[in-house]
Amino acid sequence: MALFGQVLVNGILLGGLYALMALGLALVWGVLNIVNLAHGAFIMLGAYVAFYLFTLLHLDPILALPVAMAVLFALGYGVQRGILGLIIRGPMFNTLLITFGLDVVFTYLAQIAFSADFRTLNPGYAGANVLVAGVTLPLVNILAGGIAVALTVAVWLMLGYSRLGRAIRAASQNLTAARLYGVEPRSVYALTFGLGAGLAGAAGDLYGLVSQINPYIGATLTAKCFVISIIGGLDSALGVIAGGGILGIVEALTTLYIGPTYRDVVSFGLLVVVLIVRPSGLLGRTT
Amino acid sequence: MMRAAIWAVVLAAAAAVPWLATPTVIQFGINALFLAALAQAWNIIGGYTGYPSFGNSVFYGLGSYGTAVAMVQFDWPFPVGLALGALIAVAFAVLLGLPVLRLRGHYFAIATLGLALVMTAIVSNLPIAGSNIGLVLPLHRGDALFYELALGLLAAATFTVAWIGKSRFGYALIAIREDEDAAGSIGVNTTLYKVAAFALAGFFSALVGGIHAYWITFIDPESSFDITINVKMIIMAVFGGPGSVLGPIVGALLLSGISEVLASEISTLAALFFGIVIVVAVVLMPRGLAHVARWFPAVGWRYFGANIRANKL
Amino acid sequence: MLRIPLTILALFLALATAYAQDIQLGASIQLTGPEANIGRYYRDGYELAVDRINAQGGVKVGGQAHKLALKILDNQSDVNLCVRQYVQLVTQDKINLLLGSYASNYVLASSSVAEKYEVPMLQGGGASDQIFSRGYKYIFGLLPVASQYFGSTVDMMTRLNPAPKTVALLYADDAFDTAVAAGTRKDIAAAGLTAAIDERYSNNASDFSTLLARIKSARPDAVLVAGHETEVLNFIRQSKSLDVNAKLSAFTVGVQSADFRKSLGGDADYGYGMTPWLPLASAKDAAFGDAGKFAADYKARFGYEADYHGAAAAAVVQAFAKALEKAGSTDPKAVRNAIAKLDFESQYGRIRFSDTGQISLPQTVVQVQKGELVAVFGSNGFLVKPQYPTPEWKQR
Repeated sequence: MALFGQVLVNGILLGGLYALMALGLALVWGVLNIVNLAHGAFIMLGAYVAFYLFTLLHLDPILALPVAMAVLFALGYGVQRGILGLIIRGPMFNTLLITFGLDVVFTYLAQIAFSADFRTLNPGYAGANVLVAGVTLPLVNILAGGIAVALTVAVWLMLGYSRLGRAIRAASQNLTAARLYGVEPRSVYALTFGLGAGLAGAAGDLYGLVSQINPYIGATLTAKCFVISIIGGLDSALGVIAGGGILGIVEALTTLYIGPTYRDVVSFGLLVVVLIVRPSGLLGRTT
Repeated sequence: MMRAAIWAVVLAAAAAVPWLATPTVIQFGINALFLAALAQAWNIIGGYTGYPSFGNSVFYGLGSYGTAVAMVQFDWPFPVGLALGALIAVAFAVLLGLPVLRLRGHYFAIATLGLALVMTAIVSNLPIAGSNIGLVLPLHRGDALFYELALGLLAAATFTVAWIGKSRFGYALIAIREDEDAAGSIGVNTTLYKVAAFALAGFFSALVGGIHAYWITFIDPESSFDITINVKMIIMAVFGGPGSVLGPIVGALLLSGISEVLASEISTLAALFFGIVIVVAVVLMPRGLAHVARWFPAVGWRYFGANIRANKL
Repeated sequence: MLRIPLTILALFLALATAYAQDIQLGASIQLTGPEANIGRYYRDGYELAVDRINAQGGVKVGGQAHKLALKILDNQSDVNLCVRQYVQLVTQDKINLLLGSYASNYVLASSSVAEKYEVPMLQGGGASDQIFSRGYKYIFGLLPVASQYFGSTVDMMTRLNPAPKTVALLYADDAFDTAVAAGTRKDIAAAGLTAAIDERYSNNASDFSTLLARIKSARPDAVLVAGHETEVLNFIRQSKSLDVNAKLSAFTVGVQSADFRKSLGGDADYGYGMTPWLPLASAKDAAFGDAGKFAADYKARFGYEADYHGAAAAAVVQAFAKALEKAGSTDPKAVRNAIAKLDFESQYGRIRFSDTGQISLPQTVVQVQKGELVAVFGSNGFLVKPQYPTPEWKQR
């Protein structure tokens, strides 16, 4: 029983981080209808920003979060205005192709700039843990999960109640009408994409605390983010939290009861099944 | 009549290559022919039917594994293995196509992507397929066989696409691509045609996979179901001109050539360059080379600017 | 009348034969992509050996001194490209002899090229038993058999006090690690130990929390992990943050590399590993002096410490040089036969191949003590007292 409890808690904590990773992808997909295959590359770059700040300036990764977010926000904004904005009204799978191309470019530029060696973020508290009711909780997982949930709630509030949030939602529902109300589409799109990238950057910063980073982690992370976004639904930031939690728990229990090598079978199988049965996600609204 | 004669000459010349060229050229040729055949296969479901499939690599992989398992585990001859691979792929295309083809646009693309990932994971747990270690096929000396098979396959796929373009089947597919709901409302059985196109694309992809497996003598889940193969298929078909007969061939040969030259000269930057080419091509020529070839002589450099203006936010 | 042109012709012919053709060595290595961080050991090891041999006058073949030329292609961690590049090296670039790639699946695939074109391939990058069980004649390997990797570790375990009784065996699902596990399972049973956990995990896994929770619950005395550097790194970090302790933890990779130890800091301490090579002055070598000098030269030139990957790579070139001299020609069949009969001492140890083409070298058990790699157990027993049992995380 203690084993089950430990595994379950591990899964939930990891789920929080997963949710933050997927949030940017879900936001951009749900609001702008852009499927960003380079999302994992943004996560990877966020991790490297945190790594260099930690190694060169000894800035604690948690404190480096705003910086990582800002750098990736700027990158995302630039990519949207400079590249994606040029093809957005073309055939839909062109965005898939171009973001794939960008993913390749970012990965190989990272390899050239940072080398293929893997890096770790190892602040003093990296191995710390607390024991609660027989379950060991690693401190970094608690931090990552907690910050992830906090950021997600912040985004949900922003989208629902702020002026910018209303502009973003208006643009996604009806661009022409939104323009009539004074919404400038190019900057709203770029801001949203930048926000998605910034969230990915934050996720990367926290990811570096629980796992190692190298230029090639992007592709697997993008795939995971798809699963989470689809499970949770693209309509709601809170849905993404649930999606992350569900994936984390499912992966942990699969590893425990079926076997570690079946983890991907179950998580991607879940992706396909949910898409077929309920494309709007387990928690999304059926339109 | 003249055109048929010209094509016959071209085909004969291409078929003579293994006896005229160096082994490296033959090897490049085999690879380029495989990619061109895959691009044509994708053309059927992606170009003509308008369903951007990221799952063709599933059929490619199933073809590879069908052939490999037949030859390695049961000692069956290569043609039998190839047929088995194709059969499995078509069966999966129908079984999986029925539910998945109900999705549209992005959802369809992501679902097929998910299929590829699930397949990789499932196969890496199957002992008969060698689990994640993979399978080693028997060695066949002499590349001429593979070259001719690849050429023949490309010819078959291209004939099929040409036939599609002029048949009722093809008109139905194009109707589905242009406006699926309208097509359905005038009585086109969209499900039947979509699944048939998916199965046809799967059939050719599987054959490429099987021949490639025998050629390279070693397969494992990661390289057989690799999404990058699917992306290359799409890039080449789109680059060349989707929904056209010769576009994918041109796209495949051109991009293979560039990629091969880069890989042998400045190999480290080759992948980076590939990514840049994708980005630039999608921005400047989203309708493919065929479109460029038709309009550039008339419009000149303004063609590229017009593309951007038409598609930008 | 004819004397002058004839003299010139004779002079020309004499010069032509005196000008010895370089011997071309070629390899396709992972210089970019996920395996590049180990791939570079092979590029650097090959370069160091080629330059050293050339500096010492090259290779004497049939009375003529020839220099070695090296062509390295980047396969971008793509197995299919690796195979195509080897074909290119053989057919277009006129390579005489093939140097192998890194990782068993690459060697498995590319060795078929060597066999197809009948050009010998010597490699120090693939240890999986599968490579050598196909009856191929043109592939030789400098890494000891995968199934024996943990042999010396298990042997050591039986001689510790208090001896471990239960073992957790974890392994990645690729060719090499599965082969290691198959052999280790037998060793564990033969030594009278019980495998409390015997679990296969996915290549490139980043999250070991569930497996670690199982280990914590089963409380084995020893933990053996056969995997890749990134996996071992994550495993160790997560075992600290989940407070999972074992009296002995041994890994097939990671602890042997200085970069790895540095990135883990003190957390790498007490970890065990194995290596077929150590930079000892006792391993004498014709080209480098001894293994210690080889290691020093390697570090001086490339800026990072060599491990058995780099040493094996250099040994590949050295073995080819010896085989060429013995064969007296560059004919591929003759060189292949000469390789099969090789038997000489080098910085990498005694180079001699079995009938299937694989070397047989004992693995020395090493332990990380205060950040340094210390050889603790060899074929003759304990060399240095290991720090056993490993203290719990909270007490370090």
